Amino acid sequence: MGSPFVDGIRSIVGSQHVLTGVELSPYVVEGRSPEAVVFPGSIEEISAVLRLASEERVPVTPWGGGTKMGLGPASQRLGLVLGLKRLHRLLEYEPGDLTATVQAGMTLESLQSALGRHRQWLSLDPQFPGRATLGGILATNASGPRRHLYGTARDLLIGVTVVEASGAVIHGGGKVVKNVAGYDLPKLYVGSFGTLGIIAELTVKLRPLPDDDRLVLVGFERLEECGRAARLLMGSDLIPSAVELLDGEALGRLGLAEGEESALLIGFDGLAEQVAWQAEETTRLFLGLGVTRHRLLAGAAREETWRAVREIGRRVFPEPSAVVKIGVLSTQVVEIVQQTARIARRNGLRAAFGAHFTLGLVTGVLAGGQGSAQPVVATIKEWRELARSIGGHLALEWAPLAVKEQVAAWGPSGPEVKIMERLKAKLDPKGILNPGRFVGGI
Amino acid sequence: MATLTEPRKKVLRRQMEAIVGKSAVLSDPEELLVYESDGLTLFRALADFVVFPTDTQQVAELVKLASREEMPFVARGAGTGLSGGCLPTEGGLVISLVRMNRVLEVDYENQIAVVEPGLVNLHLSWAVGPRGYYYAPDPSSQQACTVGGNIANNSGGPHTLKYGVTTNHVLGLEVVMPDGEVVWLGGKTRDPQGYDLVGLFVGSEGTFGIATKVVVRILKKTQAVRTILAVFAEIDQASEAVSAIIGQGLVPAALEMIDQVTIQAVEDAFGCGYPRDAGAALLIELDGLEVGLDLEAERVMAACREGGAREVRLARDEAERALLWKGRKSAFGAYGRISPAYMVMDGVIPRTKLPQVLRRVNEIVAAHGLRVGNVFHAGDGNLHPNILYDPRKPGEEERVVKAGAEILKVCADVGGSISGEHGIGLEKMDYMPFIFSPADLATMQRVKEAFNPDGRCNPGKIFPTKKSCVEVGPAYRPHPIEEKGLAQRF
Repeated sequence: MGSPFVDGIRSIVGSQHVLTGVELSPYVVEGRSPEAVVFPGSIEEISAVLRLASEERVPVTPWGGGTKMGLGPASQRLGLVLGLKRLHRLLEYEPGDLTATVQAGMTLESLQSALGRHRQWLSLDPQFPGRATLGGILATNASGPRRHLYGTARDLLIGVTVVEASGAVIHGGGKVVKNVAGYDLPKLYVGSFGTLGIIAELTVKLRPLPDDDRLVLVGFERLEECGRAARLLMGSDLIPSAVELLDGEALGRLGLAEGEESALLIGFDGLAEQVAWQAEETTRLFLGLGVTRHRLLAGAAREETWRAVREIGRRVFPEPSAVVKIGVLSTQVVEIVQQTARIARRNGLRAAFGAHFTLGLVTGVLAGGQGSAQPVVATIKEWRELARSIGGHLALEWAPLAVKEQVAAWGPSGPEVKIMERLKAKLDPKGILNPGRFVGGI
Repeated sequence: MATLTEPRKKVLRRQMEAIVGKSAVLSDPEELLVYESDGLTLFRALADFVVFPTDTQQVAELVKLASREEMPFVARGAGTGLSGGCLPTEGGLVISLVRMNRVLEVDYENQIAVVEPGLVNLHLSWAVGPRGYYYAPDPSSQQACTVGGNIANNSGGPHTLKYGVTTNHVLGLEVVMPDGEVVWLGGKTRDPQGYDLVGLFVGSEGTFGIATKVVVRILKKTQAVRTILAVFAEIDQASEAVSAIIGQGLVPAALEMIDQVTIQAVEDAFGCGYPRDAGAALLIELDGLEVGLDLEAERVMAACREGGAREVRLARDEAERALLWKGRKSAFGAYGRISPAYMVMDGVIPRTKLPQVLRRVNEIVAAHGLRVGNVFHAGDGNLHPNILYDPRKPGEEERVVKAGAEILKVCADVGGSISGEHGIGLEKMDYMPFIFSPADLATMQRVKEAFNPDGRCNPGKIFPTKKSCVEVGPAYRPHPIEEKGLAQRF
């Protein structure tokens, strides 16, 4: 591609860091190809690229590891894909302060391995840590089972450097773990899908790695009893790090089932004796609830099981027809799983479910429909209405384009969306950053 | 300051009475005086009216009235803030939320509560305590400060080292926007879609609107707790020990430092069992499961001994634990007995910089011919140097303010922040450039405009400006509840 715009981009970062033509194929999203891909090597280069894009009003699609590109509505025009992969360094790390400052293109796995040498970690466990970048994890607010105890990106991000659409480089927060000076801008960028600015650097709070870390898998004859067990656990003195509920379909397809209807996967970490005592305690706690088995997993078995749970959306069916996330209250999890499963069956689809039980976050995966979008669309619409009727919400995490064209990725928004629109207008007045991918068409 | 003409004032007063009732509007200057300051009595500003709504609708009507009449307004909780954040710097309307103090709903199974903003922080823990729950953020003024005020300032407290500050515990807010519209941000369910407006609102110091309902997480009380006092001959040893404790791979629930000046003041006043000749002491609390907690305590005590502690003591029972905490928490009352006034700073530093920064703090204060007592959240590097002074001595207060600014500059220069939990308010507006560039501040300004386009909601705060017409000085007056030893400043 030889447009003056792309030439301008080349002159900023050097031709070797700009892809065009056939090289764009890995960056095609839902059938749409970007006009070019650029890999800036510094904040200054990001700034110059955005300034140019802003002048030319070319949309910019930020790209970390590319693991979440299917999330949200389909982009009308990818424009310039801005890849952060060259910005992958650990900038500052003082173990005694339990903080680290990293460039946005660093993968979670490489950060964890640097921290692990000092027996510390960033307490986030989203899927695909080998590919997902810190910038992408923050921008999409990605999380995993251990958020039950350790929270999400908003709880861990203490400082951020952002390049705004205009090219201005701004900082929010700082490098200390406690800070109320000025507005809490880091929160604004978490989960903003790159629509307000491109995260270039970030400072996070760290935690010491626990001495011991295990997973207790408890099978239940009945889903209701599994839910009762999880509620007993929540109200007990135990301090699990994760409480995941899987339905029978998910268990079977992840290769974890032994014929039961449901299971809890409970994480315990801490001193070895604390882990052991808690694992033991769950057997007493769940007495009389139709437990089919109680298994303690450690090491590689534990790791592989958690990986399967995190990747439920891609693992349970070879060809899923949609992945959704439903947010309800923990007390509504069992009910929503039962009812949504019934709706899927009625529409001739298969469905599998996993939930961050205590947080009321349910991932539902659909399959079937013989290549027709119609039953999938109908099912998701019914699910959304059901979630809404009990005060919850549903977001489409992934679906083929044919489905996305007929069902909104994000749920309907309330009056608060006006504030979001004003924030967008203030921070990206020309609307060049990831246009149309976000809530309310932002 | 108040500039309304008397006839106009009468008209406005009648309109307010129509919204909240006759007894819920103050406009007599004598009565307004009570609301001219917060816990930082260095600054004073008089409102034209103070009103006491009892529900969201009334707040919305008042805000609409203020908007229609182009009158500035500011929300106020208990007035225990320490940065002048709730002062009516341009006169107008103070909307006091103290009558909106109900616990509306507690959902134990889902571990959330819905409360009104005027609820006293500690009263929430009392309300859910019988069922084994509590509200984690515990600012030291928690016997008086309100949940709404905590939201404005994103308040912390000693136990936030492990459990996080206010923002980590708020799920949803019903907010009266500066144009009077009532909007929910977030809610009871996790991961609401869109920008994290709750995260942005918490800590916005009352400049984005007025929260009228609050959804918070409540936590299950832990099985067990261990409280340790470690006594050091030198303050440097105590500072070094802080990092050594964190280096044990444990996150204590609290890790507080108390220096010699403070220990002596506390012992003179209350006798809590801290050795008077110690250079500094650390108060360390661990909580969690009963199993393994003694092992964790042993690790912490060993780290203290290795760091040169001359005495390490584990509280034997609840009475001893309470006494040790009384020493920490009554420090501010104790300062009152050794100094006519004191001003508390709130800088934050990376905790590995503690030894050098504490030395600098003491040097700076000495260079201004003043004394300082340090009692603070060492675990998260949140310093609270309390500069002791006598406001009746000419020029002393100015020296205090200068020393304070120098201390915050040192915090900024080592990569820290100018406020850990008290907020910027009026006090630190002009220090914002220590840590933020003009571009950073311009972005914050734009974010503010998205919520508060006319700027009438709590004007004249946070951003550097010289034009505020606030009175400064002279006399420090302890807050009435502080005098009674009921609450502390942080």
